[in-house]
Amino acid sequence: MSKQNKLRAIWQEYLERSFSVTIPILAILAAFAFSGLIILAWGSSPFAAYAALFSGAFGSPNAIATTLQRLTPLVFTGLAVAYGYRGGFFNIGAEGQLYMGAIAAVWVAITFPDLPEWLLVPFCVLASGLMGLVWILLPAYLKARRGINEVLSTLLMNYIAIQYFEWVIRVDHIQKGILLFGGVEPVWTFQNWLGIKDATQPHPKSAFIVESAHLPSLKSLLESNLIANLFGGADWYQELLNITALGRISLAPLLGVLVVIFIYFLMFKTVTGYRSRAVGINPEAARFMGINVPRTLFITALISGTLAGLAGGMEVLGTQHRVIPNFLVNAGFDGIPVALIGQLNPLGVLLSATFFGALRAGANKMQVITSVPVAVVYIIQALAIVFAIAGTTVDIGSTLKKKRIAREMEERGKLQHVKGEVSNA
Amino acid sequence: MLNDLSSIFLNVEFYVAIVRMTTPLLLAAVGSLLAERSGVVTFSMEAMMLMGALGGIIGSGITGNVWMGILFAIVFGLLVGLAYSVMAVSVGAHQIVTSVGLNLGAVGLSAVLYALTFTRGEEVIQTVIKVSSLPLVKIPLLGDIPFIGQVFFNHLPPVYFGYVLVPLVWFILYRTSWGLKIRAVGEHPHAADTVGISVAKVRYATILFAGACSGLAGAFLSIGLLGSYMENMTAGRGFIAYTAIVFGKWQPVGVLLGTLLFGAADALQLRIQALNLDIPYQFLVMLPYVVTMIALISVVGRASWPASYGNPFKREAG
Repeated sequence: MSKQNKLRAIWQEYLERSFSVTIPILAILAAFAFSGLIILAWGSSPFAAYAALFSGAFGSPNAIATTLQRLTPLVFTGLAVAYGYRGGFFNIGAEGQLYMGAIAAVWVAITFPDLPEWLLVPFCVLASGLMGLVWILLPAYLKARRGINEVLSTLLMNYIAIQYFEWVIRVDHIQKGILLFGGVEPVWTFQNWLGIKDATQPHPKSAFIVESAHLPSLKSLLESNLIANLFGGADWYQELLNITALGRISLAPLLGVLVVIFIYFLMFKTVTGYRSRAVGINPEAARFMGINVPRTLFITALISGTLAGLAGGMEVLGTQHRVIPNFLVNAGFDGIPVALIGQLNPLGVLLSATFFGALRAGANKMQVITSVPVAVVYIIQALAIVFAIAGTTVDIGSTLKKKRIAREMEERGKLQHVKGEVSNA
Repeated sequence: MLNDLSSIFLNVEFYVAIVRMTTPLLLAAVGSLLAERSGVVTFSMEAMMLMGALGGIIGSGITGNVWMGILFAIVFGLLVGLAYSVMAVSVGAHQIVTSVGLNLGAVGLSAVLYALTFTRGEEVIQTVIKVSSLPLVKIPLLGDIPFIGQVFFNHLPPVYFGYVLVPLVWFILYRTSWGLKIRAVGEHPHAADTVGISVAKVRYATILFAGACSGLAGAFLSIGLLGSYMENMTAGRGFIAYTAIVFGKWQPVGVLLGTLLFGAADALQLRIQALNLDIPYQFLVMLPYVVTMIALISVVGRASWPASYGNPFKREAG
C-alpha cells in the first residue's frame, strides 16, 4: 500500500469511528434544541432553563452526588438492555426485574439483620441479581426453546412484578425477635413470611434496612482506619472530609463502573460474549458456525436479567435503604434509551447513563428556578432516542466502512490476481 | 366465595363491563391490524392511545364540545402515526426500538401538553379537571331487548364504531383490492413493488389508520369512561392490544376474540374488587397480564407473522 493510501485509510477509519460517537451527541444536541422550542412555548427562556438544569446536575458537590445516585441504576439497566440486545434478546422487562431485585435485597436485609456487614452486603447484592435472573427465566425459556417473542413476554412480566411489589410492601413482615423470645406465637403464613412492610407505619413502605446492610459511603471509606492512617496528615484529606456530600455517595457508582468494565470484557473478549453477539447479528449463520443458538440466547437473557436485578439492589443498598411505591420511576424502561444512545457499547452506556442521570438530577432545580416542568426532561430523552435511532439507521459511519471493506476486498483481489499470474509464469 | 363469584356471572353489569373494557383494546388492535398486515410492527399503539386520550381531554376541555374532543383525539393519534411512519417507513429505523422511543416520549409530551393547556399563568391547576364526556347512546328498539339490549346496545358511541370496525377491516383485507395490496406488501414487498404497488404509500396509509383508531381508543378512556385525565392513563393497554393481535394470529375475528379475553379479565378484576373479597387487589390488577402471559404460552407459539414483518423496505436491497 502506498503512503498516500495509508494516510487515506487512517483518515477513513477516523471518520468511521467519529461518526459512531457524533451521532448520539448530535442527537442529544438536536433534542435540546427542539425541547427549547417547547420551553419557549411555555414562556420561559430555554437558556435559563438549561443553565439551571446544568447547575442542578453538576453545580455543587451535592448536585454531583445526586447525579451519581440517579445514574447508577441506569448504568445497570442500560447494560442489561445493551447486552441482551447485542445477543438478540430485546429485554424490555428491566423494570420488573429491577423491582424484584429490590424486593429481594430488602427481604434479605430484613430477614437476616444479625449477619456481619462483610457477609450481609454481598448476600443482599447477590440476592438482588439472582431475583432479576429468576424473573427473566420464563421469557428466556419461551424465547430460546419456543421462539416466543421476548418483547411481549418481558413487558408483561413488568406489570406482574410491579403489582407483586405493590402487594409485598403492604404486607407485614414477621418480627424475628417475637419468634425467638416466644411472646407472641407468630403465624407463619405465606403472606407475613414474604412481606417487607414496616409494621409501625400506616403507609405502604418497607422497613428501613439495617445499617450493616448499607453499601458503605465514600465518606465512611475515607474515615476507615486504613485510609486515615495512610493520609491522615495530608491537607487534602482533611478538606475531603469536610465535603458532606461524600456521605451521600455510596460505593454503588464505583461498582457500576467495575461492572461496565466487566461486561465490556465479557462482550468483546470472551467466547461467551462472542457467541451471543454472533447470535444477535445472525442466528442462522451462528447455527452454521456450530453455536448452540437456544442455549446462547438463554444465557444472554439470564445475564441481562441479572444486571437489571442488580440495579434494584444497588438503589436499595446504596441510596434509599428501603422501598416505597414508585421508588425508582421508569429506571428500567429508561435502560432502553440509555443502551441505544450508548450505541449498545458498555462504555457508551456509562456516558449516556451519565447524561440521563444528570437530566434527572437537574430537572427539579430547573422546575424550581424557571418553573419549566420536570416532564420536559422526558421529552428531551425521547427526542434524543428518536434522533439517535434515525442517525444510526442512516449511519454515515457504517456506509463509509462498507465502502472501505469493498475497496480492500478489491485490492486484495487484485493482489491475488497478480500472485496468480506470477505463479502461472 | 363461590356464591360471590356466581353473583358476578349472573349480574348483567359484568357483561356490560366486558363490552366497555374490550372497546379500547378492540379499537386499537383491529385498527392497527391493517398496518400489521402490511408488515409494520405497531408497538407504538401505546403512544397513539395516550396522545389520543390527551387529545380528547384538550379538545373537549377547550371547546366544551365533546365531539371536538373526539376530533382532537383522532388528530393527535394521526400525528403520532405520522411520526412513526416517517421513522419506520421513510427512514427505515428499527420499528420496535422506535416504538419504545415514541412510547416514552408520549408520556413526557402528554404531561407537558396537559400542563400547558390547563395552566393559568404560573400556577398549575392541581385538581382533576372534569370535562364534558361522551353520552350514553341507546339504540332504539335493539336497546329495549332485555339483557342483550343492555349489554350491547346501551353504550358510548365508540363502542358502536368498534362493532362496525371488525367487519370493515375484514372486508377491506379480504374483499377489496386495497386489502390485496396490503397483504402483498406484508408478505412480499419486493414482488408488490415490481407490479407497481407503492410499498411506502400503503404502509403510510395503514399506519395513519392505526393512529386514528388508536387515538379514538385513547379518547374512549379519557372522555368516555373517566371524564378526566390521569398521567399515563393508558397504563399499558396499547401493549395488551398488541398482544391481542399476536394472540389472534393477525385475523380480524381472532383479534376480536383476543381483545374480548383481556376485556373480560379486566371486567372480572373490577367486579371482584367491588365485592371486597379477601383477595389482595394487586393480584386482581395483575389478572389481565397473567391471562395474557398464559395466552402467550399456550396458544400463540410460533405464530404466523406476516412474512416481511418488521423489515423496512429498501428498493435496492433486492
